[in-house]
Amino acid sequence: MGWFNMHRLVVRTRIPAAPRSSFVLVGAILGFLLLSGAVLIPGLELPGQTSGPAELRSLTIALGPVPVADAGDPQNVTEGDMIFLGGSGSVPSDGASIINYTWIIDYHETNQTLYGVNTSFSVRGTGYVGVNLTVTDSNNLTDWDNSYVVVKIRPATFLEKNWLILVLVAAAAVLIVRILLGGIKRVLAGLPFVTETSKEKSRLATRRFGKTMKQLLRNYMGLAGVIILVFFVFLAIFGPYIAPYDVHKLDLENTFALPSKEHWIGTDNFGVDIFSELLYGARTSIIVGMVSAIIASFLGAAVGLYSGYVGGWKDEVVMRLNDIVLSIPWLVLMIVVAAFIGEIDLTGIILIIGLTGWSTTARMVRAQVLSVKERQYVERARAIGASEMSIIRRHIFPNTFPLVFANTILTVAVSILSEATLSFLGLRPIGVITWGTMLSFASSSSAFQIGLHWWILMPGLCIVFVVLGFTLLGYALDEILNPKLRKR
Amino acid sequence: MARRSFRRMILKRLINVFLTILGIMILNFFLIHLMPGDPIENMIPRSPKFDVSLKWNLAEKFHLNDSLPEQLGYYLYNTFTGNWGTSYMANKRAVFDIIMGDMRWTMLLVGVSTVFTLLIGMAIGAYSAYRRGGAFDVGATSTTLFFYGMPVFWLAIVLQLLFTTQLLGMNWWPQLPAGGYYDTQRYGAELKWTWPIFVSACKYLILPSMTLAIGSVAGISLVMRSALVDTMTDDYILTARAKGLTDYQVLRRHALPNGMPPMIALIAMDVAFVIGGAYQVEVIFNYPGIGYRTIKSIQDLDFPILQFIVVVGGVAVVLANFISDMILIYIDPRIRMG
Repeated sequence: MGWFNMHRLVVRTRIPAAPRSSFVLVGAILGFLLLSGAVLIPGLELPGQTSGPAELRSLTIALGPVPVADAGDPQNVTEGDMIFLGGSGSVPSDGASIINYTWIIDYHETNQTLYGVNTSFSVRGTGYVGVNLTVTDSNNLTDWDNSYVVVKIRPATFLEKNWLILVLVAAAAVLIVRILLGGIKRVLAGLPFVTETSKEKSRLATRRFGKTMKQLLRNYMGLAGVIILVFFVFLAIFGPYIAPYDVHKLDLENTFALPSKEHWIGTDNFGVDIFSELLYGARTSIIVGMVSAIIASFLGAAVGLYSGYVGGWKDEVVMRLNDIVLSIPWLVLMIVVAAFIGEIDLTGIILIIGLTGWSTTARMVRAQVLSVKERQYVERARAIGASEMSIIRRHIFPNTFPLVFANTILTVAVSILSEATLSFLGLRPIGVITWGTMLSFASSSSAFQIGLHWWILMPGLCIVFVVLGFTLLGYALDEILNPKLRKR
Repeated sequence: MARRSFRRMILKRLINVFLTILGIMILNFFLIHLMPGDPIENMIPRSPKFDVSLKWNLAEKFHLNDSLPEQLGYYLYNTFTGNWGTSYMANKRAVFDIIMGDMRWTMLLVGVSTVFTLLIGMAIGAYSAYRRGGAFDVGATSTTLFFYGMPVFWLAIVLQLLFTTQLLGMNWWPQLPAGGYYDTQRYGAELKWTWPIFVSACKYLILPSMTLAIGSVAGISLVMRSALVDTMTDDYILTARAKGLTDYQVLRRHALPNGMPPMIALIAMDVAFVIGGAYQVEVIFNYPGIGYRTIKSIQDLDFPILQFIVVVGGVAVVLANFISDMILIYIDPRIRMG
């Protein structure tokens, strides 16, 4: 999706050399910023142009490097020195507005040199924002800079809005078509549409499914897992409809509101109701967990099947690669990837988690394949001339599937945790609300200090319970489906 | 015969270890060097005072002007000849010194928490297996799983809040330091190992190490439990019981030794996890270990440090697995003789 390039221009406003070297970086207390009329030229490609889905939640723009008229000498500043900076300006907006800004003072610690002051702005809404910024220090030396930015938000397309439903419908359609095709094949072969064999087959399949379900519900871990998950899946599906507030509507007058009757948990840094965000977060968090777990399991199963079945030097090579991926400290890898990519969206984070999580599954599948492929029925199949593909499809894969299935459920739990950790460490998907991004905003606003305890506690507890649900279900399924454990 | 194949097996494993480490180095080299940004920019302040030739000289010194494959060559050569380079930042100190300085703290943190995890986890696991299906089993399993599902950073934040404020005005509630590695205000920033400093360091260690331990108890206790359940249903346990051994003797002499192999493999795998968790804990508790250093070196684009950290982390995992394999071979006569 083409909204990776989220305009990160840094405007550097340089403070001219000041005669004396004594200032503290008390920084930067600006009145409100400034604006000066941005000239709008419709249809012109302007720097910092952006587009994103309608759900875009916040967009940080720092205005970008502008040639500095007077480079000046770097000033030597020592600890305890004081610098006062004042700024002025105003922001007119054509729909878009600046919701907050930060000063970044460029100060080189080892050289004790001050060589510039930057500001960055968060812009909200669509339209144009122009900023004229004038900085005055305590010696009445001034410097100024200006720049403008255009924010466009592309409404979510039909596909983006409804992809989940489309995927489900497609899966159902494939299933129905398969059943119908089987029937048509039988009709063409001169048999009735529904034969005794196919009836018996489906009866057996239903019975086996029923038996597994029964075992699952009799298992206290499985039962607890199912109950927890039913609750959260309900939230994931209906959460946005029961949420009392629209989380995409910001109320900048009412940020960090303490819990009250209107806002049960309070409001966040954008003035959005946190309870509503929790309900929205259920859907995204669970989707991130499930989709990335499915990607990871699919890759892992493919690699494991290949390497286990082929054997020989190819197996060695694949397993060495697998070892390498397993051994690199995962979190460091992620942080480096984060620095690499810059900003990511929901798809990005799903891919990052999915593409790095396959190695344990691959190992497990390979071990299972190694034991299955020596069994007699595989040998028999080969003896009657079955092709490699059909041996894998009909004998090897079905025997590893239950393991992979149980493992996928466990991986969902791990993926949800990964997403939260990555968000917390700064790799948060933009444009969406997950429990992880909520935690990350909460801890960067030091929620505990301002009395919004539940802002940190609730998303964390939700994560804990969902993870617990998936873990319990995963272990229970493993116990039921894994023949090695079933014997007991 | 057996002895020869045993040696060959170890040789093969050693070659694998070497190849894996080489792979880790190459992969991490490319990952790190493809990061956007120019490390030279970070080395000197942006100012006309500094000549362009200074940049050029610095780039030459660190081989940053060469092509990537050439740089990879230098990197591999230097690593294997024991020349691990100097940091781009921090007054160009040797990478090895910097990392070893931080490593002490990470090792202390990880070491203490691992000991606690093992003690608590194995005890819970063993007792759950022994009273399988009982109230303790159900309670312990669900409690440990509950903690297992906690994001490490979240648990750290919550514990930090719990033990640094007096909730509901309870005066007796224990107070622990919120972050840091010892009381630098009282004992000075220069670290001298005296008794009061040692006590203070222990105090500062409690919260971070407990955070790490609580999260990973579930892994240990679950594996311990299932390994023991496996062996406890074997026939020789019945025989041992029939001989009249007490429950404790059966557990100690028959069940535990046979339940050990999965545990050893798991502990090795856990090294990777604990190091990952330690990052988050170090960030939240301001603990000056490897995790802290990593985040800083990413911001500074300090390639030598970053490379060294990734490689050390990878090597630790590979070696831990290798050692656990060797121990398994040593203690399991079936593998050794077969």
